[in-house]
Amino acid sequence: MPKPKSDLLQGTLDLLILKTLELEPMHGWGISLRIQQVSQDVLQVNQGSLYPALHRLEDQGWISAAWKVSENNRQAKYYELTKLGRRQLVNEKENWVRLSAAVARIVGA
Amino acid sequence: MRKLLAIFRFLTNRSTRERDLDRELGYHVDRQTELNVTRGMPTAEAHRQAVLSFGGIEPLKEHCRDARAGRTVEALFQDVRYGIRVLLKNPGFSAAAVVTLALGIGANTAIFSVVYGVLLRPLPYRDGGQLVVLHQQLRDAHIADMPFSVKEIQDYCDRNHTLSGIVEHHTMSFLLIGKDTAERVETAVVSANFFEVLGVKPLLGRTFVAADDRKDAPAVLILSYKYWQTHQSGDPNIVGKVFQMNNRPHTVLAVLPPIPQYPSEADVYMPTSQCPTRSSAKFIADRGGRMMTAFGRLKPGVPLEKARADLAVAAAQVENSNPADYPKKYGYGMAISPLETELTERGRSAFLVLLAGAGFVLLIACANVANLLLARALKLEREFAVRTALGASRGRLIRQLLTESVMLSLTGGALGLLLAPAAMAVLVRFAERFTTRAAEVHIDLPVLLFTMFIAFATGILFGLAPAVSTGQWLSDAFKQAGGRITSSRSRHRLRAALVVAQVAISLVLLIGAGLMIRSFSKLQQVNPGFRPDHLITLRYSPGFPPYTMETAPVLMDNLLRKIAAVGGVDSVAIASGFPLNRDGLISGPGANEFVIEGRPVPKDEPKPQSALRVVSPAYFDTIRQPIVKGRAFTEHDDKVAVAIINQTLARHRWPNEDAIGHRIHFERGEEWLQIVGIVSDVKDYGLDRAAADQVYIPLKQGGFSNRMIVRTSLDPAAVAPLLRAAMHEIDPHIAVDRVETMERLEYDSMASPRVMTILLGIFAGLAVLISSSGIAAVMALSVTQRAHELGIRMALGAERTAIVLMVVKQGLALAFAGTLIGIAGAALLARTLATMLYDTQPTDILTFLCVSIVFLAVAAAACFIPARQVTAIDPLTALRQE
Repeated sequence: MPKPKSDLLQGTLDLLILKTLELEPMHGWGISLRIQQVSQDVLQVNQGSLYPALHRLEDQGWISAAWKVSENNRQAKYYELTKLGRRQLVNEKENWVRLSAAVARIVGA
Repeated sequence: MRKLLAIFRFLTNRSTRERDLDRELGYHVDRQTELNVTRGMPTAEAHRQAVLSFGGIEPLKEHCRDARAGRTVEALFQDVRYGIRVLLKNPGFSAAAVVTLALGIGANTAIFSVVYGVLLRPLPYRDGGQLVVLHQQLRDAHIADMPFSVKEIQDYCDRNHTLSGIVEHHTMSFLLIGKDTAERVETAVVSANFFEVLGVKPLLGRTFVAADDRKDAPAVLILSYKYWQTHQSGDPNIVGKVFQMNNRPHTVLAVLPPIPQYPSEADVYMPTSQCPTRSSAKFIADRGGRMMTAFGRLKPGVPLEKARADLAVAAAQVENSNPADYPKKYGYGMAISPLETELTERGRSAFLVLLAGAGFVLLIACANVANLLLARALKLEREFAVRTALGASRGRLIRQLLTESVMLSLTGGALGLLLAPAAMAVLVRFAERFTTRAAEVHIDLPVLLFTMFIAFATGILFGLAPAVSTGQWLSDAFKQAGGRITSSRSRHRLRAALVVAQVAISLVLLIGAGLMIRSFSKLQQVNPGFRPDHLITLRYSPGFPPYTMETAPVLMDNLLRKIAAVGGVDSVAIASGFPLNRDGLISGPGANEFVIEGRPVPKDEPKPQSALRVVSPAYFDTIRQPIVKGRAFTEHDDKVAVAIINQTLARHRWPNEDAIGHRIHFERGEEWLQIVGIVSDVKDYGLDRAAADQVYIPLKQGGFSNRMIVRTSLDPAAVAPLLRAAMHEIDPHIAVDRVETMERLEYDSMASPRVMTILLGIFAGLAVLISSSGIAAVMALSVTQRAHELGIRMALGAERTAIVLMVVKQGLALAFAGTLIGIAGAALLARTLATMLYDTQPTDILTFLCVSIVFLAVAAAACFIPARQVTAIDPLTALRQE
């Protein structure tokens, strides 16, 4: 069975997750909802890729997880940016700006 | 470090982690369900959609686990745990596989340890790669290795520009007399720079310096490690101890470390100035007095080729300035070769053949285990389908199959490592015949790494075929999901190919063994030309002084009389040598040259040469060497100079006339010798060598000889100890050694072909056993799988015997294909055996034919066992299976 592929450009999902967590700690479901809302429904995060990505980022030490009480009063696993993660976010943002500018130049030419 | 911690954490709190993952995903599903419900879905549908958005909960969980760093390690643990369970569930299969692999890996480890120790390990000398051996050659006389004389060594020391030092070496046998011991010791006589050029540091004391080699220097000795250990009981205070040798005191200067000795094993070392022969003014002045070996060290950075060219120039100068000593017709020259090659040359091909043989056995074993695994994989297909559905990736399943096979092979390897030392002991004794490096053989790190590597590699090798074919099958599995699982054609072809390969490799081994057996049986049938039973040979060494050349004949007479009187002794002779002993072979031009009366030899022509042996009158009778013509020596042959020749010499020099009555004259002899008898040929220098031209002269003319040959009427082993005692009654200071029965010598002379034959025979036997069981297993599987088809055939009226024959025929077709490939391979590979074969062509048709027929017969028998299962098939049951 093939691995679920992200519909997003490779590596972009990491950036979106880190960016979303920059504001406040959040659980998985919240992250997917937030990305969808902020992108005004343009970006649909594939749930099949979101959770493996969260686990991978946690494993890399860019985000950390803790069980907290959620907005509807239940235990949920909240992810939070670590110091390393903040640094990584800066890098990824720079990469993204460079990449999108390049793509824009080609497409606009 | 952080990563390691993460892996550790991951591995340690597995249950918490799984619970957390369930809760996390559960929370998501709940929220999504709530959201879907608020969008107006019925609750059940809302939940279903929420789960669907994951694309299946279990696969998603697997992907989350995969995202973790410790995942690979954990998966490995799982695979290993699972593998152990599977292997323990099939103990018969696992044991068969492990034992097969243990034999294969053990054999490879043992042989590799010898090959590594003897051929590959760097020499234990400083920069051993720079050491080269010098060979004087006479190309046109086909002499590749002529010893050096003092003058020649001096010439090359003076004339070369590429060697940082040349050393000389020869061996002598001297009496070493301690407080109350007299022992004959093998003595290496070496130049003072010997140890410095080799780069050997002593274990105790100091090695020679130039001053030790001066004519009036006090006599000194260096002991080899082995001699120090075995004969001086490793005495730590040995340095400074004094022994008597050659009638003067010798002080022990040093003890060598345990290193392989070159060119031969010696008990003690002395500088050249102490050797009575080597230091005599006459010997030093004689350009033709050749008995030394020479070797040297390349100057740093000088390539071998440059040194070769440099020494060729030096050789031309030596040749041109001494035209009388090096006639142009001989083609004098100088060759050098690396010491490393020199030390191991003789055994190289034998060991590489054995290593290849062991490798082949391992390959066949691999193919067999692969076939067993393939058969098993068939049964596991349903399980794999289920696991794939639950999210196991294809790579993961292949990895699990490989883990299993590597576990098998590592277990086999560990067991093989336990078996290896037993085989090594035999191999080391075998190697000792070729090289002094055999002492260096042991299981050490490189050997362990090799074993680990081949165990691992074989695991991957035989695991790969089943794993990959299972992987391939999996990609098709879903297309026909739920349908009946059939074995694919390609997989059957893979099994057939494995069997064909097994058969081909087995046949190559079998033919190799067959050739060796044929050659060995021919060697055993060689008529040695004398009767080797009930003969004892020994070397006795009286001291000179007190004895002199004048008193030696009296001593020899006394000894002969004394020994003849010993109970159980039939007859006794003294000689300078005896059959099956390579001492006394012609060593170069000029050695034992003779002229025949009335046949002058032109100045530049090579003169006739012959091996020479001094024998007492009873010699021919004692060894039962028949006199063909004329008479044997008598007690009265001291007045008139006489000689006896062998048939080969008579045929060579007097092809059309009677040799008896002719007279010959040896270069260094003083008198004309009249030929009084012709004896039949004896395989004097080894059973595998043609008889050489041989001249015998009587003991009374030859002076002193130190070998004794005794024919006994009783068991020689019982008589041997009596001989020493009898001699010591005459003089307790006579050293007696190398006491051997002739049968032992004959047995030893065939030891290397025997060991090669036995080992290749064992390999071939294993190969046949393994590959015929492989054929049987594959045919059995095919019968089981075709039970349905065969049932229909039988229901339609096919005879059982016809079906049995069909199965056998199919099996034989595989064996036949393999046999053809094997014959082609053997025809190519057998040439490597050529140097080890006696009177047998590497492409001996008879051997090829016999081996192929025997093998096909075994294969047919192996097919019959599964074919008989056919008779157990009940057509009705077979049809109902559908």
